[in-house]
Amino acid sequence: MGTVGDARIKVPDRITRGEIITVNSIISHPMDTGFFRTAEGKPIPAWFIKDVVITYGDEQIARFTWTSGVSRDPVISFTLKADKEAPLTMVWTDNKGGVYRQSVPIAFTAA
Amino acid sequence: MATFDPSSRRTFLRAAALASAGLLGSGAIGRSERLLAAVAGAGPGPDDPEVPNEVVAKILQDISRGRPITRGHLSLDMPAAAEDGRVVPAIIESDLPMTAERYVKAVHLVVDFNPDAHLAVYELSPAIGTVSLSTRIKMKRSTWVRAIAETSTGELWAAYAHVNVTLNGCG
Repeated sequence: MGTVGDARIKVPDRITRGEIITVNSIISHPMDTGFFRTAEGKPIPAWFIKDVVITYGDEQIARFTWTSGVSRDPVISFTLKADKEAPLTMVWTDNKGGVYRQSVPIAFTAA
Repeated sequence: MATFDPSSRRTFLRAAALASAGLLGSGAIGRSERLLAAVAGAGPGPDDPEVPNEVVAKILQDISRGRPITRGHLSLDMPAAAEDGRVVPAIIESDLPMTAERYVKAVHLVVDFNPDAHLAVYELSPAIGTVSLSTRIKMKRSTWVRAIAETSTGELWAAYAHVNVTLNGCG
């Protein structure tokens, strides 16, 4: 992936009201542990996403606390009970104060 | 204590026997007994993966807060062998209900021999409908991985997976 903080959230194309859908997400981030050095022997400081907050409309539905043990370009899939038409928003925060936001609309397929 | 708790009685008997033999706190036996005592009367059961060190004992103690951690209602799907410890897939699923009355409020992921053993906490709510989490983690070496779910009613359910790691993914 490209720039740090580039994020994608994928939900199914067709969603019916009340359905439990799978949400796939990925964000571009080095997730540096602080244990590695560059080829020149310079230490690479820890830089990782420590917190992910997920909201659906006005409601916070999940919150993840991460360490640098999550792999580079973190992926997380989870489910959502799609019971209203509202945006699904994810906010990733890293240990250097970087805040990255992505949002997708949850909209129902006309019957 | 008003109620009979077999696990604390067992721990007491074990400690008493060791104390009388003058073993408590000395050498290898003392160390493993202290680890067991750290999760005394609670934490994982005798058939669960051994607690390898004080760090993991402390993590399990903080999660359990005196309650038993029981195998079941949770699955942790990981490869038995991972070539590259930098990217090891993990899938956590549960058949526990996700209703307003009773739901999984948190899932803990613990990797015993990682530098940061308490790798992730997933705080959840009934709005997610079911517990089905999929991610990719780093692993330093071959070890047990523990997934522990805490319900809104205070139960703790666990699943374990042993992963053999070829390439250290933590540096």
